[in-house]
Amino acid sequence: MTFTTVTSKVVLAQVAPGREVLARRGAMLAVTGRVTFSPVAGGPGGGAYGGGLAASLARGVQGEAVALMVAEGSGAVHYGFHGHHVTVIELDGSRPLSVEADRLLAHDASLSSSVVFLGQQGGLRGAVRGAVTGQGMFTTQLSGRGSVAVLSHGGTFALPVSGGRQVVVDPQAYVAHEGDLRVDVAAAVSWRDAVGRGSGEAVQLRVSGEGTVHVQASEEKL
Amino acid sequence: MGVEALDPATLPEHDNLPGNAYAYCVRLTGPLFVQTGRMIAYYPAGGGTIRFEPLTATSLGSMVAERFSSPLYSRDWVVANGQGHVILGDRGYDINSYDLDDGNLTVRASNLLAFDAGLELKESIIPGFLTLLGTGKFLASSSGPVIFVEPPVRVDPEALVGWADCPAPAQHFDAGWMGHFLGAARGALFGTRSGEERQYDFTGAGTVLLQSSERVLEDPHVLQRLEGEVRQLGTGQLQRLGSVVQQEIAQRQQG
Repeated sequence: MTFTTVTSKVVLAQVAPGREVLARRGAMLAVTGRVTFSPVAGGPGGGAYGGGLAASLARGVQGEAVALMVAEGSGAVHYGFHGHHVTVIELDGSRPLSVEADRLLAHDASLSSSVVFLGQQGGLRGAVRGAVTGQGMFTTQLSGRGSVAVLSHGGTFALPVSGGRQVVVDPQAYVAHEGDLRVDVAAAVSWRDAVGRGSGEAVQLRVSGEGTVHVQASEEKL
Repeated sequence: MGVEALDPATLPEHDNLPGNAYAYCVRLTGPLFVQTGRMIAYYPAGGGTIRFEPLTATSLGSMVAERFSSPLYSRDWVVANGQGHVILGDRGYDINSYDLDDGNLTVRASNLLAFDAGLELKESIIPGFLTLLGTGKFLASSSGPVIFVEPPVRVDPEALVGWADCPAPAQHFDAGWMGHFLGAARGALFGTRSGEERQYDFTGAGTVLLQSSERVLEDPHVLQRLEGEVRQLGTGQLQRLGSVVQQEIAQRQQG
């Protein structure tokens, strides 16, 4: 439990030697104790925190690079970003979390992060999904034991997915997912959309497998 | 449950509207200073009226001059006078009432909604902040509920709502960043910014008020204040300032 919720928009993180916290640049609100901030090169998992130069280059090219900083020392840090809601997700190490880099507020530095090509999740369809939903071809995956603070517009709720039950999510409302999930684009485009009389819900994400999908209570992007 | 309509008999005397953190109702008992654009609705009592008068044209001339000691902000404030209820709101932010008892509190100018005439307003040394002194109530807004923190604490300038009782903050620069700054030429700072190199450092006894950071509104008064100070500069200094401004503009256009 690195993060404790202070308000719906602010979390408090305890930093200690060996328990560093990675966060988006500019997300620090207040700090007590002896904590220093230093930039981390090349986005998620860059520099000394795994990944390496090649991975960070790939990220830079693909728009999965969000400038991060690491908080080191001992003390407590308040994090928040532009008044967006914050959800804390605990990872027990059994399943990874996939999330867009620009929705990550902060996470334990002990978590390992990598950039995943969506084509690996369902081949060409994964890549199509990234293109259609405007999320790009890459997503960030966090694995290990620790906590993650995720940004959303209007707060999130978790929908469990298991067995044969699939969940259909609006692409703008999708925030993140945990576990081994298959996310496909389901297009329900009809002639009505072509003449501007569609329901406005033509493109949907169809989630199936075993895990949890986190959805925000708004269709507004960050 | 349906929506309950409020009328003067059911409106709160001095509280948030029932179940709504974003709107606040005040029953006027004397003159109330209100920032323009923050009034949502008002209910005059007993067939009377509530008058909103600019500070320059109020019949309360000497009282205003005594209580409102900030020429810079004088055009943004009005005095509400009369009998009845006034409802205030600000950008959908949470609104809180604060009581001062012979105390002082400094608050971001754009987050201050109203204060009663028991308080005295002055400009803070920190640009963009206003200080309230004396005994009385005032209303301030914040993005999400306010978080109270005790010093010693260092705060991101955007996340600061205000502070009470403690001395004005000092500016703190991150030690790592300072090292780079002193060791390298200015142009070599690339890649050393954590985004948090500038912080406000609070020490002493008191309380610091925080909110989740926001895109701070462009405060026209900060510009006015700077313009006022430009006159003290010599020609060489002005040319230097001109080139700094040009560089900054060019950088923002790239970013």
